[in-house]
Amino acid sequence: MGAYVIRRSLQAIPLLIGISIVLFAMLQMTPGGPLASSEAAGGRATAERTERLREEFGLDDPLPVQYVNWAGGIVTGDWGTSYNTGRPVIDSIVDRLPTTLLLTGLAFAVALAIALPVGIFAATRQYSAFDYVSSGLSFVGVATPSFWFGLMLLFLLSFELGWLPSSGLEDLREQHVGLAAVWDRLSHLIMPVAVLALIATAQLTRYVRGSMLEVLHQDYVRTARGSGLPERRVIVRHAFRNAAVPVVTIAVLMIPDLFLGAVITESIFAIPGMGRLFIESAELRDYPVLLGILIIAALLVVLANLLADILYGLLDPRISYE
Amino acid sequence: MPSSLATLRRVTCRARRSSSTLAAVAATLAVAGCSSGGSGESGDADGEPRKGGTALVAMTQEPGGMNPLFNDQSGSFLSFWAQEPLFVARPDGSFDPVLAAELPSADNGGVSKDGRTVTFKLRDGVTWSDGKPFSAEDVKFTFDVIQDPKSTALPPSAYDLVESVEVVDDLTARVRMSKPNPYFLGLFQQVLPKHKFDSTAVTADHPQTRLPLGTGPFVFEEFNEGDKIVLKRNEDYWNKMERPVRLDGITLKITPDAQSAISSFQRGEFDTVFFVTSGDLPDLTEARDNGAPIEVTVQETRSHVEWLWLNQSDNGDHSRPHPVLGDPAMREAIDVGIDRKAVIDQVLDGFATLNGSVFYSGFGATEVPVAPFDPERANQILDAAGWDRGGDGIRAKDGVRASLRFQTVTGDQTRELYQQLVQQNLEDIGIQVKINNVPSNLMFGTYQEGGRLARGNYDIMMSRDGYVVDPLEEGWAANFTCAEVPSKDNPGGQSETHWCNREYDALVKQAAESVDQEERKELYAQAARLLARERPALSLYSSTWGWTWSSRLKGVSKDYFDGIWRSAHDWYLAG
Repeated sequence: MGAYVIRRSLQAIPLLIGISIVLFAMLQMTPGGPLASSEAAGGRATAERTERLREEFGLDDPLPVQYVNWAGGIVTGDWGTSYNTGRPVIDSIVDRLPTTLLLTGLAFAVALAIALPVGIFAATRQYSAFDYVSSGLSFVGVATPSFWFGLMLLFLLSFELGWLPSSGLEDLREQHVGLAAVWDRLSHLIMPVAVLALIATAQLTRYVRGSMLEVLHQDYVRTARGSGLPERRVIVRHAFRNAAVPVVTIAVLMIPDLFLGAVITESIFAIPGMGRLFIESAELRDYPVLLGILIIAALLVVLANLLADILYGLLDPRISYE
Repeated sequence: MPSSLATLRRVTCRARRSSSTLAAVAATLAVAGCSSGGSGESGDADGEPRKGGTALVAMTQEPGGMNPLFNDQSGSFLSFWAQEPLFVARPDGSFDPVLAAELPSADNGGVSKDGRTVTFKLRDGVTWSDGKPFSAEDVKFTFDVIQDPKSTALPPSAYDLVESVEVVDDLTARVRMSKPNPYFLGLFQQVLPKHKFDSTAVTADHPQTRLPLGTGPFVFEEFNEGDKIVLKRNEDYWNKMERPVRLDGITLKITPDAQSAISSFQRGEFDTVFFVTSGDLPDLTEARDNGAPIEVTVQETRSHVEWLWLNQSDNGDHSRPHPVLGDPAMREAIDVGIDRKAVIDQVLDGFATLNGSVFYSGFGATEVPVAPFDPERANQILDAAGWDRGGDGIRAKDGVRASLRFQTVTGDQTRELYQQLVQQNLEDIGIQVKINNVPSNLMFGTYQEGGRLARGNYDIMMSRDGYVVDPLEEGWAANFTCAEVPSKDNPGGQSETHWCNREYDALVKQAAESVDQEERKELYAQAARLLARERPALSLYSSTWGWTWSSRLKGVSKDYFDGIWRSAHDWYLAG
């Protein structure tokens, strides 16, 4: 297994290089550039200023030179400086990453906490009312656009009922202590996490149910039941252990999706995370920041795939990578 | 991902529009009411101004840094809460001294006879918020930074004429210009604290470009990217005896979705929103009239004008006129063929006014009659000029079809609505209009980036511009001169229309060099009439600018050019 992990990690290197070249080239191909002035600024910028900035950003260098400069920086830890803020890209990302990880992590936990019991229960009682209702709801969940769901929650819980704050992660008017502080943080997280977790929960519920159903009809489950084991033990020990293998893979591969889903959630709820940073940088053509985020996202996809494969081997002794 | 986000914005906009149409009548009625309030609205009725508390301001566009000398995004504008100017502009384009002790003039010896030397006398006893004294050295240092080719300052064009700044004594700075500069009061809207810098080669990574130190009533404390910008009261404010600062601080919360920021504000989550546009005013006045705890006020004078830029080059080729828009008859027909009143009444719920002048705000403001809507006359003009209708109703002349692209920045629902009105107006007079909006970045990109305006790669484009204290501010008047036409040899040219008219050039040049303010006013009036006759750009409307704040926030006034924002040091919270 150790050798396998090393081999897979090494294989990821050329893959990441390839991804970085494609990302770099694609950003350069987008129309417009980082020096466009905004309408709010009257659309005017002097020629000297533009010249000065072009030079500072190295925009006049040939593209391959720009790529090598940038890629070299990525490897050595110098991810460049934001055109917009003048801050090192790493600093901006480090500021924002924890927020996005918190959101993504919570959403993932919520999705698992709901999908596992509901999926298993629905599978063991196939064609029951519970099964129909949960299946119906998960179809609705999969089909709901998350931005729409977010706006509806915002409209209902914040604007109409006034139960939950509409933006940010904390109350900026007052400092809270003790339980009030916990509730302050929680109340800001409920809607974003619900929006982010919605699709993942719905999908995962369907997978758990499907996977369980397949296993429950297997001979060894019937054997386990026949040998007089309690139903609970049959389900948890025998059926679920096997049903979990594909579910784990799917769940791990959902992590990058959740991470990307944060783009929408963070924009709706004005949460200062990576997703917002991405949108704003895209609007401003802030290439260094955009590339930094995209590289992290690429890394996350590659890592999630690796993790899924490793978990697969651990959970299913029949699979061997040696 | 970005596409679904654009959808999000469109969906929210549509929801807002329908609700405002329902209340269109109420909103229009409310216009009269919302001009009350404003100036002099102190909180006497609520008793003695209370000290303490934090005002929470929703900010819809996050700037890269809060120092306008290094950042031109709208948010950095609020830096004057910490960074005070030498002079502050009033709505009529006149100025009051702030860090300066007096307005330099020929009478008090502040301005030399040739108008090229100006002496700024600084106020005594001013300190930076870190306690260090403010002096003429700081003024000189600021100019040295602007001059340093290694610094990335984005100085306003007013500095172009400045040759040198000399320290006469601690409280006197003498500024020499290469030419007479009637807009010298607009200089030094920000001063940099010399003691915070090692050299004049200041680049965007210097902390002072992000959170500048100033002399003002508030001090920048924290800039949490994507989240908030925190200002605290300057406890040692030099002017605190005369103008005590009541708030403990102001926090700017970054809330990128303007629609939800405004909805949250109406529910009391924020004390004000930076900034609202005229499109938000109908909803806000309606909410106020329905009892939301908010105040709304509008500016009586004209604000940002929406321009239709009519391309005067043939797709960036300046040797030939635009095949359609190069014909003065075509431009005139478009001018009289657009029903501006319908745009204002049907789309903007009355929150706009007609405007015919290129100079409509501040010092240069002048009245030019607006072409009355007359489609019949438009048809006559085009018939007489030889633009004959084809079988499909679209006119053509010498094989050139009167078919034009009409573009603006994508994603603005309100603009899309009146674009369709204009499209219908023009099709009624036989001009085909194709609406094909582009991302902001593509429209306003530099010449090197292939920006559509800079390259002259458009027919009609629409954007807001020209809301300036003085036509010299940001080179607004110069914007229409031949020297600003962008080309391969002049990639920095700022002209949108690529129009070139020697008579206009001469008027504007004379106005820029005259020190006689009355003469300048007259020259700008002449230039405005000329531009209205030649029509390289058509003013669609002047938006009604307004501000809104929560009822618990008191002491809000709009005595300065920039609206309520400059009054922040008088703000306090009702008890």
